[in-house]
Amino acid sequence: MAKVLVVDDSSTVRDEVAGFLRKNGLDVDTAVDGKDGLAKLKASPGIRLVVSDVNMPNMDGLTMAEKIRGELANASVNIIMLTTESSPAMKERGKAAGVKGWIVKPFKGDAVLDTFRRLAS
Amino acid sequence: MVDQYVIAAALAGVAWGALAGLFVHRWWYRRRAAAQQQTALDSQNTVLALAEARHAAEVRQHEQQARELHALVDTLRSDLAQQSVSADEAREALNALHLQKDEWLQQATRLSTEAGRLRHLSATFERWHEQMISLMAQNHDMHAKNNELSSIVRHVLIVSLNASIEAARAGAAGRGFSIVASEVRALAARSQELSKSYHDSLNRNDLITTATFQDIQAGGKMIAASLASVEALAGQIQSRLEQAKT
Amino acid sequence: MISQQAKESIERIFLHSARTRLPGNSSDACEITALDAQQANTALASHIVVLTISSIAFRFLLVLHFNDDEATRDYYLRDAEERSLAEALMEVGNLCCGAINQQLVEFFPDLGMSTPYQLNGACLPHLTELKPGYLATFRVSIGANVQLGATLCMCASSPVDFVAYVNEAEESTGELELF
Repeated sequence: MAKVLVVDDSSTVRDEVAGFLRKNGLDVDTAVDGKDGLAKLKASPGIRLVVSDVNMPNMDGLTMAEKIRGELANASVNIIMLTTESSPAMKERGKAAGVKGWIVKPFKGDAVLDTFRRLAS
Repeated sequence: MVDQYVIAAALAGVAWGALAGLFVHRWWYRRRAAAQQQTALDSQNTVLALAEARHAAEVRQHEQQARELHALVDTLRSDLAQQSVSADEAREALNALHLQKDEWLQQATRLSTEAGRLRHLSATFERWHEQMISLMAQNHDMHAKNNELSSIVRHVLIVSLNASIEAARAGAAGRGFSIVASEVRALAARSQELSKSYHDSLNRNDLITTATFQDIQAGGKMIAASLASVEALAGQIQSRLEQAKT
Repeated sequence: MISQQAKESIERIFLHSARTRLPGNSSDACEITALDAQQANTALASHIVVLTISSIAFRFLLVLHFNDDEATRDYYLRDAEERSLAEALMEVGNLCCGAINQQLVEFFPDLGMSTPYQLNGACLPHLTELKPGYLATFRVSIGANVQLGATLCMCASSPVDFVAYVNEAEESTGELELF
């Protein structure tokens, strides 16, 4: 059962991040936007870590995070944003939405692997 | 016997003399005492007069001081009255400030709520994004149809060329046909021009549509970010006003 | 309405963002040359990726041009041949535009960025329809044999003036910031 959910509208990013995590022994599922992410999270209660982009069509990552804490009432899953956005206002919104951490792209797997492993356990 | 009368008379005389002397002495002494008393009385009167004068001066001084004290008391009384008025005004102002602060707290709360509500505008932009995808799909469709048309027109050109060749081969009999073939070729050429121009218009349309929708999408995010800052600021004002609620 | 120093600043920001985000490896060469209008309109690439940054005063478009040829596929898709080149370049464009966004936000606090979109290369000349105040095209050579193009387009609705110098050393990306 998947422990990590990678959410990004770019297949390149999904392949890169999920591929890297799978190569390092983690069980990973992917979603293409916020709406898809919510659906996949609802269907897989075993997911402990969500890694998501902010800018996506249909539903952006921050709205998805807000809905995870709100509608889905899931307070336990860890959410990390992986995005080009770096403005303090965005990060504040993330913090208020219950996001645990923020990574500014590009993704450097080696630097974050240990933390990801910890958050996914 | 005369001696006795003389002695008696002498004695009487002496007695009368002594008596007279006594009277004179007493009279003189009384007079002196009276004069002395008078002097004493006079000096006492002087002392008394001095004392009275001094006393009067002291009384005047005391009266002066009393007047000054009264004046001071009056000044203090009027100061107190003024300060009382100021204190009342200050109290009123403080009450007004309290009311204002409550009002501001209400406004800050309202501001916070509004900003929070407007953040959900992003749902509108998501809707527009769906429509953009649909429009671009339609554009894509038009491109495809145009390409098909273009291909048909090319085909028609080839057919008309073939027809002209056949007509030429048929000689005089094929002249009528040859004219028709030329007209068809001319029409096909115009169609091709139109198709190319249409292709160009579609490209222009694609770019403008994309640019416009991207502007809306990015603009929406900009507004959402600004509103988030406003919401945060309003929240700060709210909490600071609530803290000062003593 | 866009001042000369603003145009120069945007160019500096783009050059830095392109150099740090367009190559697949930071060690690969990246040569960027400016093209004049005539050069820009000859030899259009077959595909373009468009991104927009919007502010209250202006809109800025970054257009990446590429050809779907072997050199580009080899470089950006590496081993995973079944991936879409267009998707890979949309992500690269996203990173580059994101870097530009991060620089611009220092001067324009209210900024928003769009998601990327792919179009036919023939759409490029129509950028002039937007009536830009600044339009510049560049040739970007990456690695041994990858040729890309880039066009910067800015339309201003009110005067834009700022000066930006990029701190080449500043690179705080990829780190996880825990809240």
